[in-house]
Amino acid sequence: MAAAVSTETVNITVNDIELVVPKGELVVEAVKRLGLEIPIFCYHPRLKPVGMCRMCLVEVGFKQPDGTVRKMPKPQAGCTLPVSEGMAVYTDTDAVKRDRKGVLEFLLANHPLDCPICDRGGECPLQNNTLAYGPSTSRFVEMKRHLPKAYPLSQYVTLDLERCIQCGRCVRFTEEISGDSQLAFRFRGASMQPSTFQLTDFESKFSGNVIEICPVGALTSAKYRFRARPWDLQTSPGICTVTPCGTNIWFDHRSGKFVRVNGRTNEGVNEEWTCDRTKFGHDFYNAADRLATPFRRDGEAFNAASWSEASQAVLAAFADGGEGVAVLVSPTLSNESLFMTQRLVRDTFKTNNIDFRPSGGLAWSERLENKYGLDPVGGTIADLEHAGSILVFGASLADEQPMTFLRVRKAWFSHGARVVVAHEVATEADSFADVVLRYNPGSAAVVAAGLRQLLAKVEGKFTPEHVESVSGVPADKLRAAAASLGENGAVVTTRRLAKPAAEILAVAAHETGRTFLHMGPHANTEGAAALGALPDTLPGGVKAETAGLDTKGILDAAAAGKLKALWLVGVDAFSLGDRDLVSRALENVETLVVTDYRPTESAEYASWLLPLALPAEQDGTYTSSERRVQHMGAILQAPGEARAQWQVAQELAARSGAAPVFSTSEVRSLIDSVAPDYASLTMAKVIDGGELLPRRGQSPHDLEKLAQTLGGL
Amino acid sequence: MSDLIQLGARNERPRAPRADELELKFSPTAVEQLDALRTHYAEDKACILPGLWIAQREYGGYLEPAAIAEVAHRLGRSYAEVEGVATFYSMYNTAHTVGKHMIEVCTCLSCHVCGAYRIGDYLKQKLGVDFGETTADGVFTLHEVECLNACDRAPVLQVGDQYHGPVDTAYVDKLIEELRGSGSSTVVKLADEIVKVHLKDGQA
Ligand code: SF4
Ligand code: SF4
Ligand code: FES
Ligand code: FES
Repeated sequence: MAAAVSTETVNITVNDIELVVPKGELVVEAVKRLGLEIPIFCYHPRLKPVGMCRMCLVEVGFKQPDGTVRKMPKPQAGCTLPVSEGMAVYTDTDAVKRDRKGVLEFLLANHPLDCPICDRGGECPLQNNTLAYGPSTSRFVEMKRHLPKAYPLSQYVTLDLERCIQCGRCVRFTEEISGDSQLAFRFRGASMQPSTFQLTDFESKFSGNVIEICPVGALTSAKYRFRARPWDLQTSPGICTVTPCGTNIWFDHRSGKFVRVNGRTNEGVNEEWTCDRTKFGHDFYNAADRLATPFRRDGEAFNAASWSEASQAVLAAFADGGEGVAVLVSPTLSNESLFMTQRLVRDTFKTNNIDFRPSGGLAWSERLENKYGLDPVGGTIADLEHAGSILVFGASLADEQPMTFLRVRKAWFSHGARVVVAHEVATEADSFADVVLRYNPGSAAVVAAGLRQLLAKVEGKFTPEHVESVSGVPADKLRAAAASLGENGAVVTTRRLAKPAAEILAVAAHETGRTFLHMGPHANTEGAAALGALPDTLPGGVKAETAGLDTKGILDAAAAGKLKALWLVGVDAFSLGDRDLVSRALENVETLVVTDYRPTESAEYASWLLPLALPAEQDGTYTSSERRVQHMGAILQAPGEARAQWQVAQELAARSGAAPVFSTSEVRSLIDSVAPDYASLTMAKVIDGGELLPRRGQSPHDLEKLAQTLGGL
Repeated sequence: MSDLIQLGARNERPRAPRADELELKFSPTAVEQLDALRTHYAEDKACILPGLWIAQREYGGYLEPAAIAEVAHRLGRSYAEVEGVATFYSMYNTAHTVGKHMIEVCTCLSCHVCGAYRIGDYLKQKLGVDFGETTADGVFTLHEVECLNACDRAPVLQVGDQYHGPVDTAYVDKLIEELRGSGSSTVVKLADEIVKVHLKDGQA
């Protein structure tokens, strides 16, 4: 994080080349404008400068009236020095070169140089800087310090204290970015070590980032340890599909096997960070029990079958099945797969029985955009950074929307936003909240109504005192929260929050001119909803003439023996809740088809088990929780005959007479023809950083319906 | 251990205590003093230093991990941060338990010239411990320190909040006798005096 950069500019020279740069920019940043580089270790553009390593020493002087330059007697640290008028910076004089050699010689005095067995070797800033600027020999003959090696700080992060150059990046990350302050320097001087309290478990939801920003191999990934050398890896741009944020990642693979994830910069989404679910949660690509071919149940056993047999069997059970068949799809499938599946369900299976939601999803007319004409995702993650105040309601953001959490925290940390957190339980965001409203379970809607009354200055029964009696939130706290939220800002909540509360917040946000974000829980929840993977909604958000069964309805019907065939695509029905209902449902359908990447619990009941290609094994686009559409190409090869769901759906459709579709870009043209939002996207932008779907805009209507909701509380 | 974790074993690292697992030991006076000190600063972060002095007093002179955790908990800071502060400063006793009295022998230039090492050796032999060690009965801890800024009284010893100097072996004998006889701990007293100074600071 550079020191405050203003629009004022100053004239400086860098190696005698004249340059106009914003006043207050750090020297280390200013020289980049000329394509020059000052070597660094401790400086990180997203962290506050501390000047701990001295790698960035440069010579600095000032123009004198007679035109000469008077240099400061000592070299200066470029990472802590802001530019000022008339400054002359020298990055390549003999003195600077000598200083760099000296700094590196000292850094290496105690460095173990176990590059051959160090995970960082090959992508190590210390190696690189030493090669480029360092001495080729050392004058130190003394014993190096010896400290614990490969100390497991957590399940994920391994600490090698001998390699640490005490730059403080890891410590500053946990203080400034993730905010858990799990790491600190213990002791001082040469014995200073980054550590958790008493070396206990490093408990953070963002711990993986310190591995990436550590400029040496002191913090390494326990999962990646000794798995590969960086130069043996191939890397491809990818998108995280285990969180809803649309985090941009580098997907590192070797010989067709997934190896590790690193953060990829996207200023709009994750900046350069990842959460631990993203960083360490992609191992399923290498699951030992990946399905590689379709399987048919013969009695107790599963026997391998061909796709063509499988397709025939599925069609026989589902085609023209009408009310008697249903499909549950996963909201982590790509836009293309979801779209083609719903098309197959509607056109070929002749039913609207399709859903992607666990249960208790809202009907078409109950959804915010239809009921009130209010956009449930009215802002973006990046918008939050400059919101003066942010209300985080009913969500544990660090768990549910990790990148949104980091942005909210940044808004507070870097821009002084006031944050109010309302939730039943303690959350990470409490630590920086101005006011925390802890309400009794089940009273979210009343608290929301109370806040609305204060913020929108309307009359009603939800006075702070009434709210206190129901929710246990002290009346004064509620007033303090409203005062802290001020006149404008943003309201963030997630789909996990039960219906009336979200509805009240949406209306309140509209009434007070705030940005409203109602974020979905999975990588493609928004795509699934927008592209018709719903019983009552067609692609483009159009209401279906007759609504099909939703998830709950489908399970009930199946349990009651009313469904002939059920297809689970990427969904383990047992994750949907009530285990008893699910097992009765799965037992009572005649034909259960399970498509998944590995055998799930539901698969035990299946008549057919079809292998699914995972997101990085196919070309596809995903719509993140801020409605950003991003693309991921096929990075790996799917095992055996595993296929992308859009291919399976298209084959079935083609077999029953529809025109065949040969590629995802054809699928995307089909999507564009029915979903105008998607038609407005340009593929180049979708590939390069992603493109936001057009905001729906507010066309509020029927706001008086809220009275009914409030009356029901 | 690292091998196991590498292979994806369950994480068995001990975890830091949760707030409700802490055994809080601050006396009501200590809590009161901490609350008073908090009002002196704009941020609780700034209160870590005086908070640690209170803890050093309350925990009998040694800042054990539980003491650090208690300060962090009471100030709403992370354990690691407070531990980092405590281990940075040498006057916080974080490395090991200390005796009731800490005898600090200055061995810097002036004191050295005036026989500090003779005094040091005498103390070592008399107490039967080396610098950095505590007597078996837990009464004395002996330390070697840098210039105490009282060179005019060289050789100088510091015990709690008192300087002694110039000292000779006879003085040392008398001092040890007195300290042995006294019921209270000068280590705790030092911490208490420092807390009092902090408390006064805010009122000025
Ligand atoms: S941190 Fe870099 S220089 Fe040090 S051992 Fe590892 S690869 Fe080598
Ligand atoms: S562990 Fe790495 S990031 Fe942390 S202080 Fe050491 S060198 Fe820097
Ligand atoms: S990069 Fe400037 S001191 Fe480390
Ligand atoms: S040298 Fe001992 S007090 Fe100064």
